[in-house]
Amino acid sequence: MAYDRELSFVYFGPTRVVFGVGASRDVEMEMAGLGCRRALVVTDPGVMKAGLVDGVLKSLGDKCAGLFSDVPQDTGMGVVNLAADYAREKAADCVVSVGGGSVIDTGKGICILLTEGGGLESFEGIQLLTRPQTPHIVIPTTAGTGSEVTCMAVILDERKGQKILIIEYFNAPRIAILDPRMTEKLPPLLTASTGMDAMTHAVEALQSVQREPIADGLAMQAIRLLYRHLPVCTQNGGDLAARGQVQLAATMAGWAFGNAMVGLTHAMAHSLGAVARVPHGIANGILLPHVMAFNLEDAAESYAMVAEALGVRERGMVESEAAEAAVASIRSFLERIGHPVRLSEVAVKEEDLAKAATMSLSDGAIVNNPRPVMDEQEVLAVFRAAF
Amino acid sequence: MAKYQAMTQEWLDAWKQKMVESKEYKEIAKNWEGSVSIIVNPDPEKGIPETLYLFTDYWHGDVGDFFICDKAKAESAKFIMSGDYARWKQVARKEIDSTKALMQGKLKLKGDLTYIVRNIKSVNKVIDLLCEIETVWPDEA
Repeated sequence: MAYDRELSFVYFGPTRVVFGVGASRDVEMEMAGLGCRRALVVTDPGVMKAGLVDGVLKSLGDKCAGLFSDVPQDTGMGVVNLAADYAREKAADCVVSVGGGSVIDTGKGICILLTEGGGLESFEGIQLLTRPQTPHIVIPTTAGTGSEVTCMAVILDERKGQKILIIEYFNAPRIAILDPRMTEKLPPLLTASTGMDAMTHAVEALQSVQREPIADGLAMQAIRLLYRHLPVCTQNGGDLAARGQVQLAATMAGWAFGNAMVGLTHAMAHSLGAVARVPHGIANGILLPHVMAFNLEDAAESYAMVAEALGVRERGMVESEAAEAAVASIRSFLERIGHPVRLSEVAVKEEDLAKAATMSLSDGAIVNNPRPVMDEQEVLAVFRAAF
Repeated sequence: MAKYQAMTQEWLDAWKQKMVESKEYKEIAKNWEGSVSIIVNPDPEKGIPETLYLFTDYWHGDVGDFFICDKAKAESAKFIMSGDYARWKQVARKEIDSTKALMQGKLKLKGDLTYIVRNIKSVNKVIDLLCEIETVWPDEA
């Protein structure tokens, strides 16, 4: 039975979503609607080079108080503190993030510091804030992280050399502007890997020990949309209709996992990112079917739902058969979208696996996995299967 | 079995004693280092007229001091957990899962989440032992 009388949850999803081709041009109007007058625009060098910020700056006009374009691939506390100092100097009253997960998480950190003051090292924890933070408008340039609608931020603590997780309801972005044109130029591999990040969010939300009906509904629709439209995007990046559907899927998956959380795939992908610098989406994509196989008995019902969303649950299949069909379908989907299928393909060395397995046990995502994981040897076996 | 008034020194002593006697806890918690403070927000209608600060200390399976403290001491702990009285009561009765309560904003945590996750079995055992104490709650007395 999916839910019983003990079902108890909080669903949180306050972000206004503005969708449409060219919607990023509306950023000034959306900002005005929040009562803000001076925006700090946050982005990274790659997004700048691609020209994706130009239209945003044009729309903001003199309401752009400053531009911070130095966000690295994995943002850190030092970057956030520096950007917040700059935002204060420019008297910014809101943040507009244009980029992927690292840029958006930087924006979230800046919003906290603009409201609360100090440095980000004082805010390591969960739900510490007691009041709404500086307004944040997010314009994603990838379709995968879902960070545009979650209250979570992952930021590197350079002192400890580890990423910290900040979860704050009061710091969810106020507005997400989903403009398919912002993802139009993404190359096929990046399209595939960010899309698999979204797929992993959806599947792991469905299997989570914290799953609930609203998140389940969003996850199911995200899977349907990704399965149908992601292959179109990898083959023809200029198909803006498909791009838009994948963006919406990523956002829905963001709401799903932002409430139900993620599991072992993410714990392993985070660790592999730290040990072997494997991009998050690629690690998630490769590991997902292997983690599903590992969880199969404990998550058969959830994976049968995944099979339904993927359209591979045939009439007469019992739950366990449908769950196996879901795993097989995810494997073949990876090949269909041109995504790597083995860790050895993405420069992971066999000797990295043991360290990554140990680290995985410390990752917050692991506590939500349907099959309890306490032994690093179990994690190592999954890594080896994916190697 | 003796009953203890919740969130008093006697209650903390009983909790500590449970932990000292638990061989399972000693084994599970052999990697845990550091203190945890519990801050209970005031709720006069439920018998908590002002904020309560409880300090608990753990070291590699051994149990340090458990005592009622002041704000400054509570804020010196390695981990600071805070929440409303009613939420803490739900945790102590196992009516809600503490990890879930954190994620859902029902409790607050200041400190390194990854450390807690790495030692989640210790955390769960500490709560299990707390649940074994026969407790009289201020709003039920």
